[in-house]
Amino acid sequence: MKKVKIAGCSAGWPDMLDPAIDVAKKSDVQYLAFDHLAELTMAILERQKAKRPDRGYIPDVIPLMRNILPAWKEKRFKMVTNAGGANPEQCAEEVIKLAKGLGITGLRIGIITGDDLPIERVKELKAKGLKFKNYDNDEPDIDRVMDDLVAAYVYIGADRVIEALDQGADLVIAGRLSDNSLFVGPFMYELGWKYEDAYWDRIGAAVCTAHLLECGTWSCGTCSNFWAEVPEPWHSGSPICEMDENGESIISKVEGSGGLVRADTLKEHLVYEVHDPENYLMPDGIGNTTAIKLEDIGPNQVRVSKLGDKPRGKPRPDTLKFCLAHADGYISEYIMIVPGPKAYDMAKRCEDFFYKRLEIVGVKPVETLVSFIGYNALFGPTAPPINYEPNELGIRFAIKTKTIEEARQARLQATLSWYAAGVGTAFGAPSEREVFALWPSLIPREEVPTKLEMREVK
Amino acid sequence: MAKKVRLSELALARSGDKGDISDIGLMAFNEKNYEIIKKQVTPQRVKEHFKDWVKGDVRIYEMPNILSLEIVMHQALGGGATKTLRFDQTGKAMGNALLFMEVEAD
Repeated sequence: MKKVKIAGCSAGWPDMLDPAIDVAKKSDVQYLAFDHLAELTMAILERQKAKRPDRGYIPDVIPLMRNILPAWKEKRFKMVTNAGGANPEQCAEEVIKLAKGLGITGLRIGIITGDDLPIERVKELKAKGLKFKNYDNDEPDIDRVMDDLVAAYVYIGADRVIEALDQGADLVIAGRLSDNSLFVGPFMYELGWKYEDAYWDRIGAAVCTAHLLECGTWSCGTCSNFWAEVPEPWHSGSPICEMDENGESIISKVEGSGGLVRADTLKEHLVYEVHDPENYLMPDGIGNTTAIKLEDIGPNQVRVSKLGDKPRGKPRPDTLKFCLAHADGYISEYIMIVPGPKAYDMAKRCEDFFYKRLEIVGVKPVETLVSFIGYNALFGPTAPPINYEPNELGIRFAIKTKTIEEARQARLQATLSWYAAGVGTAFGAPSEREVFALWPSLIPREEVPTKLEMREVK
Repeated sequence: MAKKVRLSELALARSGDKGDISDIGLMAFNEKNYEIIKKQVTPQRVKEHFKDWVKGDVRIYEMPNILSLEIVMHQALGGGATKTLRFDQTGKAMGNALLFMEVEAD
């Protein structure tokens, strides 16, 4: 039976680099896949590129490749990454430069572009009648924020990854390639699956399995309810998946690494951010995470198989996830700590002080949040009334304003509560930041023509 | 009379975000606990628990294959990670907060 072995080498940016380097050096995987992009990362990279045209990709790709390419020279595994971010061409350029310096030749790079849409293109599509409804708040039309758009990017599927691999790519560099597709691409290419009716069940299985791998070491116990018992999480292994042509797989990790792979730790990832478990929408197919069985078959070895007769997948959606980032004012924050006795009363008094000061200096925030670290900063209104005497409490003031001047002024007033009233202490407080809000929407597949370019390190 | 216990005695939780949606996976320790959470962890109770931190609909999906519930809370992160004023921008602790909710166990 045909099989393919792939490792999940990154969960985001930043992440530990050594688990990826370790898997390249010590395992026999055919593929390394790297996810670096969270929902907002593209907007940040887009801004970097606007300031400097030679930026806009994930810089971690350089130390990763410096350490991994020597192993590639011997082992010839393939790599798929979305480190290209807002600038896959420049990312490839830098990798080529690096490879030459390392004396590497023959490395073929596939560069995928077309996922980030220039604002002009968004305007064109608006003019064509697309409204880009906001799926967070159901606002039907993007008009209100059109003038404030800073970036627009589409979560693309594995089509071009498969094409690049078919053309002999050793390294595929993409931008907003969906985390999931980094894995589904190699599965489909190696196991000969197509976007056709005969394969949706298996592609669905691949979508669900990719979801277990895309957060790298997280599913090997680094982000887990079992963390306290996970062996040596500081050098956790990357997850390794061996997938067969029926869409069933075994997930393990690098021999000798820390971390923990158990049905339990994978289960934690199967429930993670999927929304409707029977319809896990991804660009390459719709996965059914309830049709998957997880089973421990040995130490750090879990079998992922088909549960009963339920189909594991459905045809891929006609639309793609489309994120538009727009400027949305400023946030400033200030953190201080008040000591006991009566730390809670003192903290409440600081809160009053802060709001009164804002009134006096005439700052009218769009929104404010004052929370007490150690009591309700994470739990918010679910925290029961305080019925104990804390030694100390942190106070966090967070203020959203229209202008940066107001953000600065608000933060200054927050600082006054400790040095005017002398009730606590604070150092190294965070400064103001510009806010980019996300407008999640959908876009028809046909409106996003992507491009593949092949280059070779000679 | 049925005794009240915190969800943390029956299940584990894992939460994450997409935009302004907070997802909590609630994973029961066993079949018996799964039946309890299936009956008692309702959209209404979850919404009451989170008070004004969850402004939109709550939908709950069952995952019998792993004895879990997927709790999807809309408009639940103060606008979403990039614009929220909350310290926990991506709602990674929303699952922990849910584990403090009380249900009746036999």
